[in-house]
Amino acid sequence: MDKPLEIVILGGGTAGWMAAAGLVSLIPPSRCRIRLVESDEIGIVGVGEATLPHIKNFNDLLGVDEAEMMRATKATFKLGIDFVDWGSKGSRYIHPFGVHGPADAGLGFHQQWLRSRAAGREWDLEEFSFACMAARANRFDFPATGKPTINSTYSYAYHFDASLYSKFLRRLAEPRGVMRTEGKVRDVEQDSDSGDVRALIMESGERIAGDFFIDCSGFRSLLLAGKLGVEWEDWSQWLPCDRALPVPTERCGELTPYTRVTAMDAGWRWRIPLQHRTGNGYVFSSRFIDEDKALEELLRSLDEPTLAEPRLLKFQAGRRTKSWQRNCVALGLSSGFLEPLESTSIYLIQIAIMHLVPLLPTRRHDQRLVDEFNLRMDIEYERIRDFLILHYHLNSRDDSELWRYCRDMAVPESLERKIRLFGQSGVVQQYKDGLFTPPSWLAVYLGQGLTPAHYSPLADSMPLDRLLDNLDELHTSIRDRVDEMPKHGSLLGRYANSEAATDQLLHEAEMRL
Amino acid sequence: MTDRVQSVVVVGRDAPLWLASAAVQRALGPTGVKVRAVELDSQLAQVDAYAALPSLALLHRILGLEERLVLDVGNGVPMVGQRFSNWAKGATPFLLAYDDEPPPGGDLPFVQYWTKGAMEGLRVGFDHFSLGSACARLNNVPVPGPGPAPLSASYGYHLDATSYSQLVKQLAVRLGVEPVSVGVSNIDVSGESITGLDLADGSRVSADLYIDASGREALLISRLDDAKFESWGDWLPCDRLLALSGPRLGRLPAFSQISAFQAGWVGLLPLKDRTAVIAAYDSTSITAPEVVELVGVVAGMPITGDAVVSELRPGIQRSPWIGNCVAIGEAAIALEPLDAVQLQLTHGCISHLITLFPATAAEFPEAAAYNEAIRSFGSNLRDFQAAHYALNRRFDEPMWDRVRERQLPSSLRRKVDIFGARALMAMNDDESFHEQLWAALLLGCGEMPEGYDPRVDSLSDQAHMAKVQERLRAVAEEARLMPSAEQFLNIDQGAAAPVSA
Repeated sequence: MDKPLEIVILGGGTAGWMAAAGLVSLIPPSRCRIRLVESDEIGIVGVGEATLPHIKNFNDLLGVDEAEMMRATKATFKLGIDFVDWGSKGSRYIHPFGVHGPADAGLGFHQQWLRSRAAGREWDLEEFSFACMAARANRFDFPATGKPTINSTYSYAYHFDASLYSKFLRRLAEPRGVMRTEGKVRDVEQDSDSGDVRALIMESGERIAGDFFIDCSGFRSLLLAGKLGVEWEDWSQWLPCDRALPVPTERCGELTPYTRVTAMDAGWRWRIPLQHRTGNGYVFSSRFIDEDKALEELLRSLDEPTLAEPRLLKFQAGRRTKSWQRNCVALGLSSGFLEPLESTSIYLIQIAIMHLVPLLPTRRHDQRLVDEFNLRMDIEYERIRDFLILHYHLNSRDDSELWRYCRDMAVPESLERKIRLFGQSGVVQQYKDGLFTPPSWLAVYLGQGLTPAHYSPLADSMPLDRLLDNLDELHTSIRDRVDEMPKHGSLLGRYANSEAATDQLLHEAEMRL
Repeated sequence: MTDRVQSVVVVGRDAPLWLASAAVQRALGPTGVKVRAVELDSQLAQVDAYAALPSLALLHRILGLEERLVLDVGNGVPMVGQRFSNWAKGATPFLLAYDDEPPPGGDLPFVQYWTKGAMEGLRVGFDHFSLGSACARLNNVPVPGPGPAPLSASYGYHLDATSYSQLVKQLAVRLGVEPVSVGVSNIDVSGESITGLDLADGSRVSADLYIDASGREALLISRLDDAKFESWGDWLPCDRLLALSGPRLGRLPAFSQISAFQAGWVGLLPLKDRTAVIAAYDSTSITAPEVVELVGVVAGMPITGDAVVSELRPGIQRSPWIGNCVAIGEAAIALEPLDAVQLQLTHGCISHLITLFPATAAEFPEAAAYNEAIRSFGSNLRDFQAAHYALNRRFDEPMWDRVRERQLPSSLRRKVDIFGARALMAMNDDESFHEQLWAALLLGCGEMPEGYDPRVDSLSDQAHMAKVQERLRAVAEEARLMPSAEQFLNIDQGAAAPVSA
């Protein structure tokens, strides 16, 4: 068999340590050796502090103990995202990590709900989502496993401190065999014929050679863009936000089991509750607001006192046209950037690793592996892009220029068709690959204010009174079950942090006084 | 809602007409939709048979059609797989059967472990690790056990085409479909829509929605201005289909036998009372009388009845749904009767149509979604058939050389490439054959991967070998416990004649 592949990972942020920990845990040592190069002097962006449920699969594959990880990263649970003022000012909806309706209803449930609306029932679809109702009540419990029941219809993710997550993964990866080298890269050595990256030359003079390089150097994209010249594809015509002002504040009183994202005049603002603090930030478009004004708006809107000065990040929505070129693959920000509206940054790192694992090359170049990886990543990026565009495009806000621009802009044709189909009869088009499944699309279509003109004729096949009885029963059972759930803060305290529990009890006591 | 679709007219013939009518009636009849079926002259000859994939049983279940009845009326025999011979000269035949897809999230696909074994000298073919193939080899039928099993496979059917179609017709009528058994004399079209049909008896029918189930004729859809047929003849070179009949085989094989010859292939589909024989061929390379003569030799049995020849024109309607007209089955996608796809074409189109059944009769934004889905569904089936041809190893025969040298459709190129590199599969939306079956096909065609998923090496060599051996043992044992085709059908063994190969 071939000698093991010498892998060099450049950069030790979230992407770098996820790659290192993932590869060292999943690929046997006979196939590769992993070295990670990072500089303590270079700060990390620490993309997104909110995640998607997929992260749990990744952690499970690596054999991570969940409670330990949550303690180490000051994590809280997340059942979805609360969108405030998006479709129109004053509107609010949750994009939940779960389905609407009973576990066995399939896609047709919302059609029954649409029919009940047409018959005069005023209820919101959210009231049929277990995850939404639990989130609204600030409650959390683990989904039931085994038989499909109403409290098995959701999954969950985490809010955590991404830099602590990198550290946690480093502690896991190094004992498993990842070799870490501290220092700055001075130069990159390339093969003059093929363009393959041969080695990193450190400022110390050390030469770190490798067969395969993973570029996790963040926005700089040192290898993929810098050395291999892979071009950037600009998506800012659809996603005009290009600045972010993150700022931490003190921890919030009652820990919400959801991320809140509030639409602002020229972008949107996030609020992510962690055990020890709250993450906040304003993502905005410099075409529609200047930085001083944005800062002022951000500081005015915060719920809790700040813990540090906001720092400005500049970016552009888009991606490198290829994530893998020659013997170098880029993960995370070095391969592209999509705003953290749907917490996709860490997912994109994770899925790239999971696509890379079966395609990991040997020491011999095989273009078939490269092409397949790039194709798979194209699908991931484009589907997330379209889903993000949906949030901007579907709005009826008339109070600011950004929202008017987004409403009127031309969107990709495939998205236009999806919107038209849903607007007609509430049919959600499905696809096999790609991140967001029909329940997500459904929540966002409706939440953004697109009500189908009709419902599917198939929903008429059940007698109306039976349909309404079923919905009434489900409605009550969700309410009852949610009332039995523990508060998010108290469960979290018991499970992953005693400090949080005490706080929660105090908070509950205060509320009773 | 007043602008709902209230009436549907299905125009067509044979099983596709009645399956479509029955399915629409079943799903939408209770909501008040009226379904009429205008029956055109049958294109079936007495000798015709359908080979159907296991998924047909799902459609039967939805329609309330009992399996026993289908097998009795259709002179049916379970089809556990298809056995391919002579697609590569000198190679051993391979059996492609329908093992169920393992649940997601479990172990790596078995083909990964097999590939490592094969690269290190394992001499046992991949189809010996398939429960379906092992059953087919014993003429046994993989019936489901009482509980969930680590290994499971499904079976399809061989059915007499005419009597099966009659059975589905009876069902459709019983469900409430109104049969109209006079032909169409004129189709009125206005712009992008059909406004009505004049029938041969002078009467007229019209509807909010028209379904074209006329098969290759594409009677309705081809009348619309925007209709455009895209040929797939580059990859599927046979342009004629010939049907014959032979005597019943002594011991009933539980599979179709598909043998390639110099300018096409011959298929033997066993039925209870006879053996249906079909041949697809390239008429520029061979004449019909020559094929008839050859078929007798290839089939190894006396051939009876007159040969019925029909045209094959593989391809797809660019827009199978235009205005108020929806083409299904072979009116939308025309393929060869290889890999038992005929009724699958109808089934897949019906499923999409019902999911996307129009919300109003005024406009049809559903059409774009249907057209996209059918294109993907049809291209995947085309690729499955095209792989047999493109990867052939019959050298120095003009038709086979030509089709081997053609550039592959990009979707098939991608599958062959990534399978060749890593035994991985690149699956699209709306695939009829799951990953494992694709792997079985490509391996059967002689594509040997050069590598495998590196996670396979997490097992020690010893553990790996044990895993492979255990699978082989479990498959053989399971297959042995399954009932024979005769036991399954509750018929006498008959004369213990050897299985024809």
